[in-house]
Amino acid sequence: MMARWSFHSWKRLDWIMVTIVALLMAIGILFVFSADSRTGNPAVGPLYQKQLVWMAVGLVCFFVMALSDYHQWIRMAWWLYGAALVMLVLVFVPHVGVKIFGATRWIQVAGLWVFQPAELMKLAVVLVLARLFGWPGQSLRHGRIVLLGLALVLAPLVLIVKQPDLGTAIIFLPVLVAVMYAAGVPGRILVPLVTAGGLVVVLVLAVIVIPPKLGWNEARQERLIRMIGLNPYQRDRILVFVDSDRDPLGTGWNKAQSQIAIGSGRFWGKGYMQGTQNILGFLPRTVAPNDFIFSVIAEEKGFMGSMTVLMLFALMIHLGLRVAAVASDKIGRLLCVGIVTILFCHVFVNIAMTIGVLPITGIPLPLISYGGTFMIGTMTALGMMQSVYIWGDWR
Amino acid sequence: MSSMYLSEHERARLRRVWVAMMVSLALLALQLWRIQVGQGERYETSLEQQSIRRVQIPGPRGRIFDRHGVCLADNRPNYCVALYLEELRVAGKRWVSVGDAWKLIQRVAAVIGLEPQLTRTKVESHLDNRKALPLIAWRRVDVPVLARLSEASILLPVVDVMVDADRVYPQGASASHLLGYVGTVERGNEENGYHSYWPDMVGKGGMEQRYDELLRGEPGGRLVRVDVSGFKHDQIGFRDPVPGGDLVLTLDGAIQRSAEKAMADVVGAVVVIDPRNGDVLALASSPGFDPNTFSPSISVETWTRMLEDSRKPLFNRAISGRYAPGSIFKPLVALAALESGKANARGSFDCQGYYEIGGQRFSCYEGEIHGRLDIRRALELSCNVFFYQLGLQCGLDPIYHLALAVGLGQQTGIDLDNETAGLLPGKAWKRIARGETWRDGDTCNLAIGQGALLVTPLQMAMVTATIANGGVVYQPRLVLSTRSRNSTEFQEVPPVRIRTLRWSSDHLALVKKGMRDVIQNPSGTGHLACLPDVIMAGKTGTAEYGRKGQGHCHGWMVLFAPYDQPRYAVAMVMDDAITGGVSIGPRMRQLMQEVLNRAGEEHG
Repeated sequence: MMARWSFHSWKRLDWIMVTIVALLMAIGILFVFSADSRTGNPAVGPLYQKQLVWMAVGLVCFFVMALSDYHQWIRMAWWLYGAALVMLVLVFVPHVGVKIFGATRWIQVAGLWVFQPAELMKLAVVLVLARLFGWPGQSLRHGRIVLLGLALVLAPLVLIVKQPDLGTAIIFLPVLVAVMYAAGVPGRILVPLVTAGGLVVVLVLAVIVIPPKLGWNEARQERLIRMIGLNPYQRDRILVFVDSDRDPLGTGWNKAQSQIAIGSGRFWGKGYMQGTQNILGFLPRTVAPNDFIFSVIAEEKGFMGSMTVLMLFALMIHLGLRVAAVASDKIGRLLCVGIVTILFCHVFVNIAMTIGVLPITGIPLPLISYGGTFMIGTMTALGMMQSVYIWGDWR
Repeated sequence: MSSMYLSEHERARLRRVWVAMMVSLALLALQLWRIQVGQGERYETSLEQQSIRRVQIPGPRGRIFDRHGVCLADNRPNYCVALYLEELRVAGKRWVSVGDAWKLIQRVAAVIGLEPQLTRTKVESHLDNRKALPLIAWRRVDVPVLARLSEASILLPVVDVMVDADRVYPQGASASHLLGYVGTVERGNEENGYHSYWPDMVGKGGMEQRYDELLRGEPGGRLVRVDVSGFKHDQIGFRDPVPGGDLVLTLDGAIQRSAEKAMADVVGAVVVIDPRNGDVLALASSPGFDPNTFSPSISVETWTRMLEDSRKPLFNRAISGRYAPGSIFKPLVALAALESGKANARGSFDCQGYYEIGGQRFSCYEGEIHGRLDIRRALELSCNVFFYQLGLQCGLDPIYHLALAVGLGQQTGIDLDNETAGLLPGKAWKRIARGETWRDGDTCNLAIGQGALLVTPLQMAMVTATIANGGVVYQPRLVLSTRSRNSTEFQEVPPVRIRTLRWSSDHLALVKKGMRDVIQNPSGTGHLACLPDVIMAGKTGTAEYGRKGQGHCHGWMVLFAPYDQPRYAVAMVMDDAITGGVSIGPRMRQLMQEVLNRAGEEHG
């Protein structure tokens, strides 16, 4: 199956990109350590140690992917997509799916490792979309292929919303739009599609925001929310975003504390391991090392710290799109665009949420947040991008 | 650096994707600048005054009532002294040292005149794990302490009074097995653990455990900004606590107390059922315990004493006790024989004081000789020899199936944990458990409620209810209605009819008459339970337990009343009885007198 390998091509790796990855991971480890330092829970063991293991595994995935020809993954795209879809269904099977904090997002592998199929699905969707829209001679002038792409994205999206993991699910939509746009789907098809999507979002927001203003009772509101496939807690999070004073002790707490943390970091920050928001536990320790890791960085390293992270990500996205431009075929180009879009969405949504520009969605920051499946998924995707680079026309 | 095939159009699109992403990131950078550098001061001050305090308001646990609305489980406020340790933080130092915190506790202790309730290690672990939350240093302080505290205003910035709820059981030890008790657990869930600092109350045993989900309240909270001197000045946020749901039991508190009184000095159990709907009016097991001793927490000595007590006060005999029924099983044997057609109402047998089969001699109780008897008279006198013969004539199958149909050998399905099924022996059981075939001797033993047969007091009360109501098998109903946490209305729990047995009314009437004679005739074995102005029917039983010949007997009595329109079906059992009639009869009489008097008052 591993048809084309290119061990000798390691010299052609994009070493700037590798350096950025390494820097972001180093920042990640430092601040996972800082965010976790106060837990004092010996039963769990320090998170940074576990994260180091995930990073090692991630690096192996990165190099394996980078040095193998991405076309073989494209050939397997449908299978991978099917497998990921099956796993997303398995999440709901008792004893296979694992429920943590009220959401069934994990499946158990051999009773040891819990694994998030949604992460695999992100990759599978990018592969399948790249293949669909990048296939040589594929005509993009008909609506049919666009509908097929839409269906391929909606199936996992619905399953992931049901988990419920609204944040991750939402990411699939920009990926679809970006890949179709880069593939050259004409504007007369894309524009109505995006408009329709926008309308759906507006409608959902209306359903969430308007009934409380009309003074509907809780049961009636909840029925309506469930009708559009959302959970009351997802509604609460969106409402907290709209009106942050709504629940200052519950959902609003994290948002307010994160904003105080970031704001109080000022220009230079309070110093590594000196963040009072972090150390004193105002930022809940359950979220500080993963979803709110950026708040810890911004508090302890200030504006300079948050800019450093932001610039590194910007550079990574820039390099990723450059790979797309030099890819030797359309499939490779779309693959890069898809991966870059995923990365961009994570970075944007995560940081925007910690500074209170977007609702709290529980989307981690790539390479920095604590989390195994996500680390491996990100590294695998970055590795694929490297493969496109290595096989690209850039000489 | 460019791909050969990339068209200008495609290149332009890629560039636009680049621009869109970079502009978005630039917007984030801009916003970060505004928050961190532009308005940073605002957030910095709001941090300086993380004297925004999160005050938790407990969501009280739901209450439990009896059928007349008498409260069986309630809450009582519990005043606590809380310390905000982060106020001790000296500028420039990140940590509050354990030493400083401990000194503060000593100082407060001197002011309020109470010894510290916490150990140094507890303080240390609080500083390690939950620094942002107040430390609860004293619990259950009384009003004078609160007064002293409010006078000592120097302590204000660091000290606050909070209120939590304790569980109380106003009826004391009454219905303890049924109600259960509560214990506290530290939150397992970290996410919640962060938001709350009261240990959680968890139901253990009885209804408290069974309906923990329903009864549990949801804490609310307030965000309060305090100034440097500790005066609360404005409330920034508020979340209502949600009290837990309530439970109304079918229990009648007065009957329950009467039942407990009847058993107070012995080891045993009483169950009172309403035969018209299966309502459990009383369910008592003796000895009991006082659930109040568990709240807020039980002392080690009391707990060990309870565990080591040979009479097992925590054990609910009414549903978990396995007893041989003895003669109270005979009405079922009589019914089975009549219904199967193997015997008729006029059929009779001789009793010469013993009965022999296969060379083995089965004797009548204490070797009494009853002479020639019919079914009704045999029930009244509880003649074993008669029932040996009736059982053999009838055979195992009809008895087995009838016993199964009225619910023996199975859980009744009462809404309590740890209910035992008892044991209804049959051919299959004997083959599997003993590796032997069923013999006539086994049928003889079964016919007088001995042998391997085991029942619970609740099962026998339900069987009596079925006889009293003419053949309807109910599931015992313990919960009359519930109110869930977010609702204001009580939802009724309908009675559950498991099945209706179509018994011939003649046969049933004959057995009932036999049971009436047991109580009403001076020669009946249960005559000691007889009351002057109401007709009752029942059956006594005496079942040996422990090693044979040592004379340890369970005394049994089942009874229903009033005879014509039964409203009560009772089963009573006690350890170390002389006979059911002698030991239980007077207790049953006392119980029924109180029950019927009270009922009379209510109706009249």
